[in-house]
Formats: sequence, C-alpha cells, structure tokens
Amino acid sequence: MRLLRRIAYLFRRGGNAADVADEMAFHRSMIEHQLVQNGMSADDARDAARRTMGNETYMREESHHVWLWPSLEALWQDATHTVRALRRTPTFAIGVTLTLGLGIGANAAMFSLVDRLLFRPPARMIDPSSVHRLYLYRTSRGVEDQRGGQYARYRDLATYSTHVSQVAAFSRKSLAIAIGQDTRIKPVGVVSANFFGFFDAPPAIGRYFTASEDTPEQLARVAVLSYGAWQTEFGGRTNVLGSAIQIDAATYTIVGVAPDNFVGLWTFLPPAAYIPVSTYASTRPPKDWATTYGTAIGLELLTRRKPGVSVEAANADLTNALRRSYQRQYQGNAPLSELRPRALAASVLAERGPDASNTTPAAKWLSGVTIIVLLIACANVVNLVLARAMRRKRETAVRVALGVSRRRLLAQLLTEGMVLAALGGATGIIVAIWASGVLSAAFLPGTERQSVLGDWRTLSFAALLTIVAGVVAGLAPLAQIRHGDLTGDLKSGAREGGRQRNALRTLLLLFQSALSVVLLVGAGLFVLSLRNVRNVRIGFDADSVLQVKLNIRDARLDSAAKVALRLRLLDAAASFPGVTHVTLQESIPFGGMSSYPVFVAGIDSTDLLGQFDFNTVSSDYFATMGTRILRGRGIASADVDGAPLVTVVGQSMANVLWPGQDPIGKCMRVGLVDTVPCRYVVGVAEDIHSQSIEPESKLYFYYMPAAQWLPQVGGLFVRARNARLLVEPLRKRLQQEMPGASYVTVGCLGDFVDAKMRPWTVGATLFTAFGALALILAAVGLYSVIAYNVTQRKHELGVRLALGAGQSRVVRLVVMDGVRVATAGVAIGGAIALLAGRWIGPLLFDQGPRDPRVFGVVVTTMLVVATAASLIPAARAARLDPKSALQSD
Amino acid sequence: MAPGTSADLLPGTLDMLVLRTLVRGPQHGYGIAERVKELSHDVLQVGESSLYPALQRLLLDGYVEAEWGTSENNRRARFYTLTPTGRKQLAAERKEFERIVTAIRAVLEFA
Repeated sequence: MRLLRRIAYLFRRGGNAADVADEMAFHRSMIEHQLVQNGMSADDARDAARRTMGNETYMREESHHVWLWPSLEALWQDATHTVRALRRTPTFAIGVTLTLGLGIGANAAMFSLVDRLLFRPPARMIDPSSVHRLYLYRTSRGVEDQRGGQYARYRDLATYSTHVSQVAAFSRKSLAIAIGQDTRIKPVGVVSANFFGFFDAPPAIGRYFTASEDTPEQLARVAVLSYGAWQTEFGGRTNVLGSAIQIDAATYTIVGVAPDNFVGLWTFLPPAAYIPVSTYASTRPPKDWATTYGTAIGLELLTRRKPGVSVEAANADLTNALRRSYQRQYQGNAPLSELRPRALAASVLAERGPDASNTTPAAKWLSGVTIIVLLIACANVVNLVLARAMRRKRETAVRVALGVSRRRLLAQLLTEGMVLAALGGATGIIVAIWASGVLSAAFLPGTERQSVLGDWRTLSFAALLTIVAGVVAGLAPLAQIRHGDLTGDLKSGAREGGRQRNALRTLLLLFQSALSVVLLVGAGLFVLSLRNVRNVRIGFDADSVLQVKLNIRDARLDSAAKVALRLRLLDAAASFPGVTHVTLQESIPFGGMSSYPVFVAGIDSTDLLGQFDFNTVSSDYFATMGTRILRGRGIASADVDGAPLVTVVGQSMANVLWPGQDPIGKCMRVGLVDTVPCRYVVGVAEDIHSQSIEPESKLYFYYMPAAQWLPQVGGLFVRARNARLLVEPLRKRLQQEMPGASYVTVGCLGDFVDAKMRPWTVGATLFTAFGALALILAAVGLYSVIAYNVTQRKHELGVRLALGAGQSRVVRLVVMDGVRVATAGVAIGGAIALLAGRWIGPLLFDQGPRDPRVFGVVVTTMLVVATAASLIPAARAARLDPKSALQSD
Repeated sequence: MAPGTSADLLPGTLDMLVLRTLVRGPQHGYGIAERVKELSHDVLQVGESSLYPALQRLLLDGYVEAEWGTSENNRRARFYTLTPTGRKQLAAERKEFERIVTAIRAVLEFA
C-alpha cells in the first residue's frame, strides 16, 4: 500500500508540492491574522509570522522527502551533475570511455570464448554436474593408450554398469547432406536415442527417434533436424515432417525438429541434423559393426551418475564394466593384468577432458594478457580521474566547508565513477561484439559466430568489470580528500600541495609502463616465433596446392569404374584454367596418412624404428607438391601395373633403413608378410612434415605409383596459381563428372598447415595488438601526468625563466621527468619479462625467451615514446610567458 | 536543530497527538497545531517544521486523508481526516504510551 501511494505521489509530484506550499501559506496567514487581532501592526505581524514559521523551504523539502527514498533523489542529482561536468570536459570523458571500453571489451570477448570452452555447460543440459564424457584406456606393452569407439563396447558398458543411470553414444561427423550440385558438407550428430534424454529439450515439432528405432535389428531411417536447419533449409514449414533428406549414404525421413538453441554437446559447431547410431553404422563398413571389437567407428560416450554416486565410485563401476567387456571380447580369457582397462568419467566439456585441443592453453594465457590490458586501462583511468580531482580540489573544499557530509561526498564520487564506468561498459560491449568475432575467427575458424548481446553470462561479466572499474575510478580521489587540509585547499589554487599526491600517480605510471614492456616483449617474441614457424620447410608448398576428395555414394561402381572416374577427374582438373600440375594421391599430410608394414633385409622389425607412412601417386606428384627429389628420379608414367615395382623414399627413411649406404636400387617389401615381391628404390625425396610444424621424429615417408598399389583409392592434388580462388570453381567443374549421389570436396592444403600454426599466429597477432594498445595507454598516461606537472609547476618554471634559464633547459627539465619514470618502468617491466621467460619459453617456436634483440627494441621504443609524450608539454612549458605565469594563481 | 522532532514533545508522540486531535473531526494544519496547544493548556508546542513532514508521513502511511475545503474564516485550507486504519493506529499507540508512562511512573515512585 505504501508503495502504491509512493508511486501515486511520484506521478502527481508537482501537484503535491504546490499543496504543501499552499497550506503553509494558509498557516502563516492564520498566524498573521491572529497577531493582527492581538493588536500588532500588519507589517510586524507579517515578519513575526515568517519568523514563527521558520525555514519553509526546509519544511517543503522535508515533506517531500517523506515520500521519496532520499538517497535515490541524491543519486539522481549526482548523476546529472556528473553528466553536466563530463560535457564540460569532453576530452576527459572520451579518454576514459575509450580506455575503459577497450579494456572491458577485450576482457568480455575473451571471457565469452574461455567460458564456452571451459566453463559453460552445454545449453539445455539437465544437471550438467552429474554428466560426464567417458574416456576408455587400456595398456599395451606397458604404455597406456586411449581406446574405444566400438558399438559393441558401448553396448557392454551400458549393460554392465550399475552406478550410472544412462550411457549414450554420440559422434559429430561431417557428412554430405542432399545430392548433386546442392551437396553440402554439414556437421551431423550421430547419436543413440537416449542422448536426447540428457537434455531438457522438447522437440519444436514432431518427436525424437526412440530406443526401439535405434537398434541393430530395426535400423530405422529417421532423422531429427536442428532448429537452425529447419529455418534456413526448410523455411520453418511444419509439413517438413515426413519428408525425405539425403544424409551421407542413405535417405532418411524427418520425424522431428529439435528446439531453438539445442546444440547437443557442440556449442561452437552444432549439428544440422541428428541420426541414429545404428542406422548410420549400418550404412558404412565394416559389416559386423554391431558386434566387432576390432574396428572402432568413432563413437564417444556420455553418461550420468546416479544420485548420490561419487565420481570415484562411478569410475570404479565403469572400469569394472569395461573389464567385463574385455572378458566378453576374449571369451573369458582376457589378459586383464596386462591390459589394465580403465574408464575415466571426465568433464562434459571436451576441452576440460584429456583430449583438449591446442586452442585451450592459448586461450588461457591470452586471458591473462587481456587482464593485464584491463589493469593498464584502469591505471590510466585512475590517473586521469586523479588529475581531474586535483583540478577540482577547490570546488570540493568549498563543498566540504558548506557542510556537505563526507557520506554524501563519497556517494557523489562513487556516482561519478559509476557514470564513467557505465560509459566505458557500454563502449566495451560494442568492442566485445567486434572482438569476439575476431577472436573466434582466430581460435576456432569455421565455427558459428557467438552472439555477445544475447549472452547473459558475458554481459554480467562485463557488468561486473564495469562496477569494479567504477568503484576504483570513483574512490581514487579519496586518498586526497582524506588527508585534505581544508583551509589550504580553499586558499590555494591547483598549484600547491600536489607533490606528495603525485607519488600515487607516478606509481601508477610505473605500473603501466612496466606492464606495457612485458606485453611488448611478449609481442616481439611471438612475432619472431611466427617468423620461425613460417620459415620451417615442411617439404611441400601447402598454399599452392588444393586437395580433391572423392565421396562415392553409389555402391554399384566397381574398381575399374572408380579408376576410370579418377582418371577422368585428373584430366578435367589438368585442363582447368590456372591449374599447372595434377596428381593422384591417397594420403594427405596433416590430414591423414596411410601406413602398411615394411620389410627390409637385415632389419628384424621396422616397427621399432618408427612409423612408415606412404602415398600412392601419379607421375606429376613431386612437381605438384613442390617436394624436391634429392637423388635418382621421382615416380614416372612408365611405372605402371606389370612394370618393375618401384618406390621413392624420404631422406630420413633412407638414412634409417640403409645407414651409410646408397639407397638407390635397394629392395623394400611392402605388405602383410615378408614374402611379397621386392620394390626397388629409384629415388630419394626431401623429408616432409605430416603431423606438426615442430621437428618430427620416428616418422618416415615413401611414395609408390598408384598404378602399382590400389589405383581405385584416393583423390587428387592440384597445383595452381592463386589456388585459394579456385576452390569453388574447381569443385563445380569436377562435380559434373561425378555419377549419381557421389560428390567431391575441394580444400586448400594450406588450411591444414594454418591450423597447426594457429597458436603462434594467434599469439603474434593478439600480443602485438594488445602490446600496441598498452603502449598507447601508457603514452597517454605519461603525457597527462607530465602535462599536469607542468601546470602545477608553472610558477616555479616561470621563476626559472624569469631568472634567465634557457628554453632548452626547461625542456630538458620537463622531459627528464618523464624519461625518469619511463626508465624505472622499463627496468621493472624488463625484470618481470626476464623472470616470465621460464613460462613463456615453451610457447615459443625455436626462439629463446630472453632474446636481447627483442628486449633492445622494446626498451628503445618505450623510451622514444616516453620522450615524445613528454616533449609536447615540455615545449608548452618553454613557451611560458614568465610574467603571466607568475601572476596567475 | 535535529530535523523532524520538536524539543517540546516527547519523541514519537507527535504523530499520536495529531491523530488524537483529528478524532473530533477534520482539521487543517493550523487548527491541529492550535488545538494541541489549547488542549495541553499551552504546555505542548507543535513546531511547524515538524508538523508538516509529520502530516506527510501520516498520509503516506494511510492514517489520514487530505482534502481541500473552506476554513471557518472562508479561506481555502487543506483538511485532514482520520481514516479507520488511523483510528486503529491511534488506539495502539495510546496503549503503548500508557504502558510506558505507567512503567516510568513505577520506577520514579519506588526506585
């Protein structure tokens, strides 16, 4: 009721104020009337009545305050006062807004990425803390490996476990959807029917598939669309239920649509559709997919602990189930003491589990970098606010003298801080929208862009930063009020008493320049690392080569037809404008290599030497890839089926198989047994990288003519000028050759390599960006402090000039002030960077963390910038007119 | 001067006195002040500076209602009327006041 009356009051506020004023006037006139009746003169009565009534304004205010939360009213006044003050000093307002905006924005964007990678449970999941991804291990020859992925293993774990309520199988595959020219590769969720039960996600329309449809006997061809695919591909029509959709090798009937923002477990690249595990597995080899333990089909497992079951208990239970599964696999004779099967229930977020990608560590330490940027931004804002507070010292002193309570003054400072921070926060959100796009493109290329605006977690994080920044910025001038000498402040202008308070500002400046040095050193080290990474000779020209992948969905094609198809595609690609070389291939460096046992006379087991991968190619392979032949010859068109078997080996392979001998003409046998015919080495090629940019050990390569191996298997490599521009035109041209539902995909080999370089690319780019930002902020901070000092010392400098100090002397005096601070900052920052070398070292590539070149450049840059920032106010100081400087206040 | 209370009155009794004066019928602010003075034989003075905020408080709490009317000397004046809740509140405050006064008296007489 009180609340309603308060609100009613707010709406007729003016009316009520008039009422109170009127009734007081009535009251006063009644007193006056009484006095006149008692014999007083009219004039005296009026004065006496006024005296009796006392301060009417105060009474009106008090009456008014009864209705309001007085603090709210004060807050509003303070806020409008702040806004007015800011409009008078736009440079200050813009400076603070931009500084805080960049700091808050960078952190919000980074938070949004790291939160999704490491903290945020998948959307719509029920009780995510009890849900786990399951990882299975077994030991072989004393080494523990991660194993699993078979359908039979999944069924065993689901059957034998007792402490978990569900075990679901899932896998996100890139599958072709639709046929012909419309064929597109899309992520598809291959999931068991109970997968959906982990989520609170009633279908938008239709239904999910049921457990009875997802069995090796039933194999129902049913699919559930994602909400996004339903909207974009089917226009959100409800009659989509019952229609057919081609996914991979089979045609499925759409039975339902998942609700909006259901992404399964995949926040960054959610599937376009979901199909049953059994149905999908039945359309692919092997034929005994449901029962074999020998072939994995890439299934991952999801499980939920029963209520009250600890993670340890669940691990023990699942490990036990895994042991029983091995017993079943080995018909009761599993060598369990050697295999030591182990199940691990890890976080539902893949990046927190044992299979985390190389993105996560980079994201983690970059969050550290963004926090440094925020610290620098805050230091800068505090600096600007302090300078402003000192200029307003007299104003504050006047207000204190007039009886403003400390509490009220504090409230006003906080309000000012908050208004500034709010401006910064709003700018920060705009920055975050842009920056999160940049960050996800850098860290997770090819994934869906995440919106910042609809993301309350990121927005609350930004709000939290804003509030903290507001409190810091607001309370910074307190240091000065607390120790303020009121009368001194009232008498003096902005001139006196600034010295010891400047200590705080100098400290902030030191802090800023030190952190900037740290960031700049990081930037330098990463830029050099990236250059080293780029300079690594990986053995082929990834950026000039396109890889063509054949996806044959027509089972009626026999081997001969497939060979014919490959050769037809080879011709079509060779005659395509811009293409210079083409070759057959079946292995793709960085994208998956084939391997087979190798036998060489005099070596017991080549397995112990390392892994031998191969590629089967046609005559133009080495020209296409740009891989150099070091000895002998490459593969020739004469190396056909029936001609002598030949091979070209990599240099390291030649060295390890025939150390100190001429490899040309040596015999090597490739096959399951050592009785297969000899294959003669005809050439030695330079080594290539196929897994990482870093030096690879125990990884060897050789090449065989496709015609002498399996000519029907594999795709093409195409070399072209401006290869990336040809991806789509070439795909369209080659698709014309594809029969039935078959399709080709074309991609640049460079993309695989870029993914491997990403930690360094991201590090160099972001470190440089943040380092530059930090440098600018530090320069602005230095400039503002020096400029302020000059105003403070106007009187002193005026005296010096009047006594005949030369202009250059004054300039030197002022500049040295700035350079001194910067030098100290550089020293501290340099020391921190040297110490941090231990942690940053492992992130670098072929680069020492204490490179003197980097430190030299950074120190020079910092000092040059500091000198430049101090020169501007110094020049102003030198041009001072001694007379006016001495006269001014 | 501490705002809201008059030195002439026991703290917290102003609202009760105002409510009490309204039991006899609607009255304007000047009338309320005069009546308190009159009934207490000039012992209690209601300061104007506390009367009007007090009236606003009573309005906010819903113990009184205000309406513009005409005063005895034909001038426009704002009249306050006691509401049923106001009457209940008065009874409650009065009871509490009696209790405290009895207690104080007991201490004064027997301590």
